[in-house]
This record gives sequence, C-alpha cells and structure tokens, in this order.
Amino acid sequence: MDILRSFFAILIFPGGLCLLFVSLIYEWVDRKLLAQLQNRIGPRWFQPFADVIKLLAKEEVVPEGVDAGLFVGLPILALAGGLTAALYVPLFGLVPIYNFPGDLIVTLYLLSLLTLCMGLAGSNTLDRFSLVGATRTLTQLFSYEAPFLLALLGPAILTGSWQISDILAYTNSHWLLLTQPLGFLIAIIGLMGKLELPPFDAPEAETEIVAGALTEYSGRGLALFRLGKGVELLVGLTLIAAFYLGGVTNPVFFLLKTLLLLLIMVGVQSLMTRLRIDQTVGLWWRYGVLAVFVQWLGIIVLKGVLL
Amino acid sequence: MTKTEEALALASDMMENWAWETITVRPEPNRLDATLKSTDDLIPIVVALRVKRLGYLSAITGLDLGVEAGELEVLYHFCAAAAVITLRLRLPREAPVVPSLSEIIPSAEAFERELREMFGVEISGLKTPERLYLPDDWPEGVYPLRKDFDPSVLQ
Amino acid sequence: MQKEKTVSSFTIPIGPQHPALKEPGHFLITVDGEIVTKTVVRLGYAHRGIERALEERNYVQCMYLLERICGICSHIHATAYCHAVEQLAGVEVPPRAQAIRLLVAELERIHSHFLWLGVAAHEAGFDTLFMYSWRDRETVMDLLENMTGNRVNYSANLLGGVKFDVDDALEGEILKGLEFLEERTHHYLDVVKTDIMFLQRTSGIGVMTRRQAEVLGAVGPTARASGVARDIRVEAPYGAYVEHPVNIILEQDGDLRARFIVRLRELFESYRLIREVLETLPAGELVGRVPRRIKASETVSRVEAPRGELFYFVKSNGSDKPERVKVRTPTICNMLSVIKLAVGHQLADIPMILTGIDPCFSCNDRSVQIRSGDNLQVLTWEQLRQFGA
Repeated sequence: MDILRSFFAILIFPGGLCLLFVSLIYEWVDRKLLAQLQNRIGPRWFQPFADVIKLLAKEEVVPEGVDAGLFVGLPILALAGGLTAALYVPLFGLVPIYNFPGDLIVTLYLLSLLTLCMGLAGSNTLDRFSLVGATRTLTQLFSYEAPFLLALLGPAILTGSWQISDILAYTNSHWLLLTQPLGFLIAIIGLMGKLELPPFDAPEAETEIVAGALTEYSGRGLALFRLGKGVELLVGLTLIAAFYLGGVTNPVFFLLKTLLLLLIMVGVQSLMTRLRIDQTVGLWWRYGVLAVFVQWLGIIVLKGVLL
Repeated sequence: MTKTEEALALASDMMENWAWETITVRPEPNRLDATLKSTDDLIPIVVALRVKRLGYLSAITGLDLGVEAGELEVLYHFCAAAAVITLRLRLPREAPVVPSLSEIIPSAEAFERELREMFGVEISGLKTPERLYLPDDWPEGVYPLRKDFDPSVLQ
Repeated sequence: MQKEKTVSSFTIPIGPQHPALKEPGHFLITVDGEIVTKTVVRLGYAHRGIERALEERNYVQCMYLLERICGICSHIHATAYCHAVEQLAGVEVPPRAQAIRLLVAELERIHSHFLWLGVAAHEAGFDTLFMYSWRDRETVMDLLENMTGNRVNYSANLLGGVKFDVDDALEGEILKGLEFLEERTHHYLDVVKTDIMFLQRTSGIGVMTRRQAEVLGAVGPTARASGVARDIRVEAPYGAYVEHPVNIILEQDGDLRARFIVRLRELFESYRLIREVLETLPAGELVGRVPRRIKASETVSRVEAPRGELFYFVKSNGSDKPERVKVRTPTICNMLSVIKLAVGHQLADIPMILTGIDPCFSCNDRSVQIRSGDNLQVLTWEQLRQFGA
C-alpha cells in the first residue's frame, strides 16, 4: 500500500503529471504577463501545452557525430532530476512527500543537474552555436550557483538543520523576508539566472547563438528539456516562497505566494537588457557574493545575539 | 566660393595642369569627368586626390561600351560636397586590368570585388578577390553585366 | 560548412540563416574564446540581378523594379532614379511634387529609424524597447498607408512628379501623428542616454574614430556618429531640400550609443522638416512630362537614404531603355567598416555592431538560383514569367 501511495505521489499527484501540468500553467502566466507588460496580447492559456504536444509529435533529428546515447538520454536525465527535486519541497502547500536529513543539499543539487545536463548536451554536438551556448551555460552556472546556494542555505543556518521539513517548521511562522532581505533578493535573482531568463539569457541568446546549448535539439528531446525547465521554475519558486515568504502551508497560500514571486520575476525580465556573459559573471562574483556574505554575517550575528 | 566650386576648381587644376595627361569635360555644372590616358596614371592621381583631401570614393562603376567597340570603361567617382569628380579609364575587352586602390582607400575593396565579378575586369593587387555577390558555383568567365552575357549559359 | 577548429581559434558563421540577421548575409567570424580575431563578409544571398534587368526594361518599368530593391528605403531609391532621369531629360519637376516627395522621404526616414531602433534593441536583448518602438512605428505606417495606399513600397513617385496629393484632412492626421511620435522619441532618447543596462551594451562598443570613418568610407548616420559631416541633404541639396535646409546632426563618440543618439535626434529634424513643408506646401501640378525616349547622356544622382548616401549613375542611349543604371547603396560602404571594427571585440557585440550600421542586405544584392536537392535551376526572366503565369 505504501509503495502504491509512493508511486501515486511520484507519478500522478503531487509530483509527476500534476506537477508537469501546473508547471506549464506557470509558464503560460510568465509569457502572458510579459506580453501584457510589453503592450502585446500574449498566448492563450493552452499554448504551452500545445507546444509540448506538438514537440512530442515531431521527429527527433539526431545530428551526425554526436554520441546518440548521451543525446537521447540527457533530456530524460534532466527532467528526472527536476521531478525528483520536487519530491522534497512542499509542493502545492502539501507536506513534502519524502524527507531525510540533508535533503536540502540534495534538492539543490538536483536543480543544478538540469543545467549540467544542458551544458553537456551542448558540448555533445559539433555545432559551434551549441558549443558556445554550452560554454556560456556552464560559465553562468559557476557564477550564480554559489550565491544562490548560499542564499538558500541562509535559512538553514538560522534553524541549524539541513532538512527541509525542519527548516519549514521554523519558516512557516516567520517571514524571513524581513530578517534576511538580501538573501531573498539573491535567491530570486539567482533563480532567474538558473532558468536563463532575461537579463541572464546570454546562454540562449537567440540573436547571437541561435538557441545556445539546445540548438540541435528537436522533437522529444527539446520537449523534455523545456518541461524540465518548467519544473525547475516551479520547484524554485516553491523553495523561495517556503523559505522566505513565511511558508506555504496550504494550496491557497502556495498559489498566492508563488504567483507573487513570478510577478516580480516577470517585471525584472521586461525591464532589463540582456547582460553579456562576462558582465553576468562580473555582476555575480562582485555584488552577488558580497551581498550573500553580508547576509550571512547578519545571520550569524543575529543568531549569536538572539538565540 | 562654395565648397563645391572650390572642389571643382581644385580638381580641374589637378587634372589639367599636373604631371599626367587627361581629357577633362564638364558634362553638368557639378560634375568633372577626366579620362585618363593610361592605367598607370590611376594610382598617382588617386594619391594626389587623397593628399589634397579632395572628396571620398563614392562608387566604382563599370560600363560595357559594346562588343563592336571592343572596350570596357571603368569610372571612379569621387564626391566632395555637391561636386562629383569622375576618373574614367578605357580598357580593352580582352584582358582588362586596373591596379587596385585598396591600399590607399580600404573601402575600394568591396567596389572592386563587384567590378571584377560583374565585368571581368582584373584588379591587380587586390588582396581579397573572392566573389562578393555572385554565388560560389557561378561559372568562370561569365560576366553578367557585360552586353554579351547570355543567361542560357547557366542552364 | 567549414569546420576550422584549431586549439585557440574557432570560426562561427553568422548567416546566411541566423536569427540576428533579418536578411541573409554571411559573416565568417573567427573567435578566440569570446574575442573576435577576424571577419570575412560574403553577400549575394538576396541577389536578384536588378542592374542587369534594368537594361532590358524601359524607363517607367525600371522605376517599378528599383522601388523594390528594398522595402524600407523604397521611396528614396525611386526618388534618386527619378532625379537622374529628370536630369537626363531636362525636365523640371513642379514644386508641389518636390515637396510631396520630401514629405514621403522624411516619413520613410522616420519609419526606418523606428524600425532600426526596435531591431537594435532586440539584438541587445531588450525586447521591451523593441515592442514599444515597433508599436509606435505603426503610427507612421498608418500615415503612409493613408497617403499612398501601402505600408511599405509606397510607389509615390512618377517620372516627373508624384502620384498622390496631400489634402487638409491628411495634413491634420500627419500633424497629429507627429505629435505622438515626438513625445515617444523624447522618451526613447532618454532611455538610450540613461538606462544603465542598455548603456552597458552600447557605450564604448564598436568605436569608430573620425579618422577611421573617413578612411573606411562610412556614410550616413554611422559616419555622423563619428563626427564626419556627411549628409547629402546638407552638402548637395536636391529637390525640395533646397528650400527647406536641413541641420546636420553630429555626435563625436563614434560608439554604438552615439549611433543610437544620432538616429533619434535625426527624427526630431524630420519632424521639423515635415511640419515646415506642410505649412508652406506650394500649390500647383503634381507631374511634369518626361519624354519616352531620352537622348544619350550620363548623369549622377545622389540622395540621402535613411542609411546614408545613395548613389545612382544612369547612362541613356537615346532609346526608351537605359543603357546602364548603377546603384551604389549605403550599406556596402558601411559594411567594410564593420569588418575592420569587429576585430578585438567580443562575439556578443558582433550583432550589435552589425546592427549599428543599419544593414540592409536587400539593398546590397541586386540572379535567382533555385536549388532543390541536387537539381540546380537558373531561371531567365521569360521562364520566371511562365512560372508565375
């Protein structure tokens, strides 16, 4: 029975299919809001679904000279990583399905797995656009990853545990946004970097390198990568909402808080020009790291003084 | 004197009274055409124009004077304010050669490449003689802007 | 496809199909990491053999063909050609027609600069500016459509004059549209001058000094952004520009930011010119008579297209078909400057630098080759007509 429940949870609800469904809705919200801010109309609600279904129905072209196993396997791995990460976060305001000590680190690692897979997928091909895109993806990974991780680990320091459910026990009643504003800022901007949203979309700058690391992908592989990104968006939003915005204890709060964060992200997207990759790295390693260090100093001092 | 008149006066003086032989004509009030006697004069005249800062190279036109006439003509247009000073060179159809201006005027490179592929005028000293507009597999020796160009050759 | 991959250098083809290029062109860029070390340009992907085709058509037919060299600068091509033919035939164009030609030319300039603003913003990754400026461009396109019936390829010129007249209602609409556009232009100028992230992508990028601009033969706003005072409307006024002089807009920095600012400031000049012309529109006819056969002669016609100096050389031979029409478009002049400038910059800056000269590949290329599989077909004009019939 337990096994069946687990399977159900992983595959149907709240993970798996339900997660994919909701992540596509979030993608629609993102695109629609962005369009409205740009004085356009934007897509209808089922557009992301139509995109995925169409992609799945198209032929997958495996280019010459690539390692076919890697080429086909990496998108699956990426999506699997995202779906697995979702098991440990309070998705839809429900209690995380699984938890164990240290699962925060595992979750964050699984989130990075997607980016790593994309980088590998880009390097796998002989196409120079993909290679440049892969280089940029990995460069960007090295730049935002450290501040982003540290920002998400801030609450962990405060509560003294690496287990998400323990951290949630604390953050559900405290709004860390107020006590760790810098951490929140870095976390949300870091999420934009992770998802390669403008202004951090140098790795997939369509006007320079076509589609970056995913240039050679089509059909099912592309669909899986896109789904993976959608899942990453949702999981990332959940984590940040849960840690900084006073927890997501029920579905209504979940919806409200994650949509609020999405709104902020869309606003930043529409306001800014794309940063060049060297500017991105410079920005993160100067201001990002600095902000996070200041934040941590604050946490440590506060913890020493208050607790 | 306006800049145009100044430029025309200077160009007139240069073409008529300096070391080379040219036949100058004023076909329109703002134009001065100078037909050069030989291709050897081209580079010295262009250098003189540049030294005197007289205008900039605006275009290089190729003309096919006809199969019977047996000649091609190349026009170098230098523009200064409203004045257009044109250097004209007549070349035999069979083996037309002109020296390249790209050492003195870098922008001439593009114009010369076009002249070469469209008219078959050989440009000696051109460092990048690749085709500019015509496709890579266009047949050799077929020059589209010559009067005797026959499209059926491409079938 | 070339696969040149040495230990430190790497060639990236930009084009012929590439999202950065709105029209096909091929730039083979050799990079070392992210820094460009060499660029080679190859054009001709939109070559339509226009100069050749013109020799087999009469003067009126030629005009229709020349208008279609480019969608964005169609009117200025037609104007340059009409000037040349009118000079050859010794025909005086009535002043009202000259004024209307200026009107359409300036509206076209406005349209072109707004289009360029959007495209350049898109290249920088600033999609919001792209969407907004193209929305504003719709205003000027509506005006042109009301006036001439078309949003692009206005076909406003006839040999000897213009086809369309401007009445009071249209005048009112134009003035209203200009008010809106002027306000928006102020806003964009502000953004371009002060937005920090935009400045990061444009300030100090693609710098061309005054000396370089002169030597490399740059024309148009690209040259004016480097302080070189080249503007045909000022140096060699033609048509109605003689009565309505233009102030030349110069910037000294020569970087991409300067090119943005020059084009935006030119918009203000265009607004001023249009208002001036509308106030003092002379009464009279719209067309002068140009004979069918034009006596043998040669002439040069130079006009200021939105991108720079457009040079036409027309030679007539006494028949009703021109002997030779040579079209030298501004983009080819500026293209070389791009190639020389690109070296030493980052790969990410290449699309921006290329966009900075406002390239119009259609203008550049003027034979159609259709390739399907291994079958290569070259169609002559007769065959093309049969195809379409």
